[in-house]
Amino acid sequence: MTGFILRRLAQLLPVLLIASLGIWAMIYAVPGSPVAVIVGENATPEQIREVTVRLGLDRPLIVQYGAWLWAALHGDLGLSIQSREPVLALILGRLPPTLQLGLAAILVGLVVGIPVALASALRPGSWLDRVLSGWSALALGVPTFWLGILLILLFAVELHWLPSASSYVPFTEAPLAALRNIALPAVTLGLYVSGIFARFLRAALIGELRADYVRTARSKGLRERDVVGGHVMRNAMLPFVTIVGLMLASFVGGTVVTEAVFTYPGLGRLLIQAIGTRDYPLIQGCILLVLLLYMGVNLMVDVLYAYIDPRIDFG
Amino acid sequence: MTDAPVVSVRGLDITFAGRIHAVRGVDFDVFAGEVLGIVGESGSGKSVTALALSGLLPPVARVTGSVRLGGIEVTSADAETLRQMRGRDVGMIFQDPATTLNPLLPVGRQITEGQIAHGTLRAGDAEARAVALLREVDIPDPEGRVRQYPHQFSGGMRQRAVIAMAMAGRPRLIIADEPTTALDVTVQAQVLAVLARRREETGAAVILITHDLGVVAETAHRVAVMYGGRIVETGPVEEIFRRPRHPYTAALLRSLPRIDGEDARLIQIEGQPPTPGALPAGCVFHPRCPVGRARAQCRETEPPPVPPGALVGAACHFPDEAGDALAPTVAAKAAAPVASAAPPLLEVSNLHVAFPIRGGLLRRQIGTVRAVAGVNLTLRPGETLGLVGESGCGKTTTGRAIMGLIRPSAGSVRFDGQEIGGLRPKEMRRLRRHMQYIFQDPYSSLNPLLTAGQIVAEPLRIHGVFETMGGDAYVRGLFDRVGLSAGMIARTPRDFSGGQRQRIGIARALALQPRLLILDEPVAALDVSIQAQIVTLLQDLQRDLGLAYLFIAHDLAVVRHISDRVAVMYLGRIVETRQKGALYRQPLHPYTQSLLSAVPVPDPAARGGRGRIVLEGDPPNPARPPSGCAFHPRCRQAVAACSAEAPALLAIAGEAGMVACPLAEAGA
Repeated sequence: MTGFILRRLAQLLPVLLIASLGIWAMIYAVPGSPVAVIVGENATPEQIREVTVRLGLDRPLIVQYGAWLWAALHGDLGLSIQSREPVLALILGRLPPTLQLGLAAILVGLVVGIPVALASALRPGSWLDRVLSGWSALALGVPTFWLGILLILLFAVELHWLPSASSYVPFTEAPLAALRNIALPAVTLGLYVSGIFARFLRAALIGELRADYVRTARSKGLRERDVVGGHVMRNAMLPFVTIVGLMLASFVGGTVVTEAVFTYPGLGRLLIQAIGTRDYPLIQGCILLVLLLYMGVNLMVDVLYAYIDPRIDFG
Repeated sequence: MTDAPVVSVRGLDITFAGRIHAVRGVDFDVFAGEVLGIVGESGSGKSVTALALSGLLPPVARVTGSVRLGGIEVTSADAETLRQMRGRDVGMIFQDPATTLNPLLPVGRQITEGQIAHGTLRAGDAEARAVALLREVDIPDPEGRVRQYPHQFSGGMRQRAVIAMAMAGRPRLIIADEPTTALDVTVQAQVLAVLARRREETGAAVILITHDLGVVAETAHRVAVMYGGRIVETGPVEEIFRRPRHPYTAALLRSLPRIDGEDARLIQIEGQPPTPGALPAGCVFHPRCPVGRARAQCRETEPPPVPPGALVGAACHFPDEAGDALAPTVAAKAAAPVASAAPPLLEVSNLHVAFPIRGGLLRRQIGTVRAVAGVNLTLRPGETLGLVGESGCGKTTTGRAIMGLIRPSAGSVRFDGQEIGGLRPKEMRRLRRHMQYIFQDPYSSLNPLLTAGQIVAEPLRIHGVFETMGGDAYVRGLFDRVGLSAGMIARTPRDFSGGQRQRIGIARALALQPRLLILDEPVAALDVSIQAQIVTLLQDLQRDLGLAYLFIAHDLAVVRHISDRVAVMYLGRIVETRQKGALYRQPLHPYTQSLLSAVPVPDPAARGGRGRIVLEGDPPNPARPPSGCAFHPRCRQAVAACSAEAPALLAIAGEAGMVACPLAEAGA
């Protein structure tokens, strides 16, 4: 098991290296140099030269990359141009709220999506299946910003049950306040992913229900709930965990629209701000971190896969 | 057998979606301790009948008539009654042990969960019970195996585990639906032996559903032959084989390739088995029947079924004439003699194919699977060499390496005197016009989006010779050549039956006018009556076109019919290669002997008389072959020297054959 994880990590190293090169080179690829951003439009050639030397931009490219990579490996992603604060601290500050919202949304998606998928798959083609499939299509089709605004209008403006702007309260410190704050954005995102989850799981379940081992299980005289719960669900989970992992990975990278609607302090809004102000070190840091999180989630999915499926060898 | 039957079926009628009439008025009884063999080709309704007996048909099936099992009327019982009946009164064994077990759950749990669901076993005792059940079906080290997963079991062990599972609740009826079709012949013998022993120990009745008349002849007491959704003939197994009363039974027996028969050409049954959605009027068999084809009565009136409860009978207007169907309907054509003086078309010497096994942190090579370990073959124009062996023996890899689809790790392949190992891709492509490959599965080897005409023309277009070879007219000629109507040229593969698809595959292979065909299990996926048609077609093509065939198969009876010489493979090596007649008359290598002995012969009279050799254990893992002679751990005659040194393939005195066993030579 440890060897399996180590090998997967080792396989990620070259990917990270190539990605880091791309992230670093981004500065040179995007119109408007960082120096111009720092010194402003009316700078003299001397000022430009001075800033260029200060930032080390006069050195050979390979040296610049080496220095940047070495610093990044030590946790030094530079200072934000806009706020003059360390990039790492800025990002780490946004990480817990992003994770909390992402996990809450996935949870809502699972709680809604799994029962919907089960109810549909057990009687495919029935009126219930058709209603639920329509519902899934609706969950997927409604834009999140619009659903978010509707929810705010109903639960915050009309009923005054929940706050209209969601601030970050750590769940471990004040669970109730955390839930109140996160409920609306989590439901907004969660309903959307529940549509995806329901569709995928329904298809996987219907496929598995046709499998030979299901006929075998029934021929033994198992109750239908044991056939589904003990045999079918486990097999259908294999493709399903991939989708859940992908959605979680996309959420930890920040959910721009939902964060904006609820003015929630997540990574997505940080990245948008950084892009808007051409804050290159911050953009680089955000992308690097999102990449790391993405890889981490994928590794988790692989481990989970190997745990569910005995045919996958850890060796 | 004077007691009440264990299961009694009367007027069973099953319709899907209101128009597909799968089973039409079936009656039979099965008594305790008895094996009823239900024989039929695909679409005959035999598997649907089996599912109906245990109430496992999907809800879209409309079932009428009566099935009485264990005091329960299955056709009208509620879901909970049926659930309690399954596992307690009836156990099921299905065809493919690779898919009948859930890959994600331990085998032991799957064996006992039925009993736990019935409340006859406490969860705490389950593991001990599973160990006992595994031991009863001869699984070695049951304590260690009980927590393993299906992928850690070999095919034969899986099927024995399925038998243990079906018998766990001691049901009075076992329904085995093609239980050994997916298994190798030596493993089939093991599984049938275990099934027979467990039946005797428990006194259960068994319904054995199969297309394999050999298996029926060796295991069944009574036989019911199904065709077009009906039982067309029923009787004691000796009667059925000695004096068939229905022309279909007679023709089926005659179309069967046998390892013990004469060398005559197979007598084929014309046409296709009917599909349940489009049954012919009158007697369903009349369009293919030599007796009734021309008779108005057969065309117009369906013969009455065998009376319920009758032990012998046929649903035929002219049962006394069934024997006429045994007469050859086509004159046997003599095969052209092989010019043994001709230079070999294909010469394979010391062929090795090894696949690396990778593992560890850096995916380094940690081992090698020697799939082919030093194979020598020669094939002359117009000759057929049968290459036989069990799954994993390397026969398919050999064929692919000859085609250049897999790169050999050592050795040489010469085609028409030219070494193909060093050829550049362009030269190889040109050479490949002369050697073509025919695949086993006619369902997955044809692109479903192309028309049959496009499929056959594709090799011509790839080689840029479509126009020069004669274009559409040439393709139509190929269709005619393989017995397909040119009117079907614009259809896609889904409109064709399995046998017709294999004909398309043969036409595609013939398009470039090759000199060598490598046929990889070309009839293994086909029904018995269709097998005979394809084998006969291949024989005709060989005679007319002078083709050489490398015929790769596991079915020793089919190989016997088509081959001039036979090479037997075991674990990457050829252990015996002989003229066909000599090999089947007096096999020399102990592996060949046990292989031939394991083939069920469709003749109940021969049952038990042949002194069957049932091989112990499974074929070994090619990644870790046994030392010395790879066969020695399973060989009855092995002596100490066998584990020390691998015997060389040596010429047999006074015969153009070779065998890789010093003991065999001494005895010859």
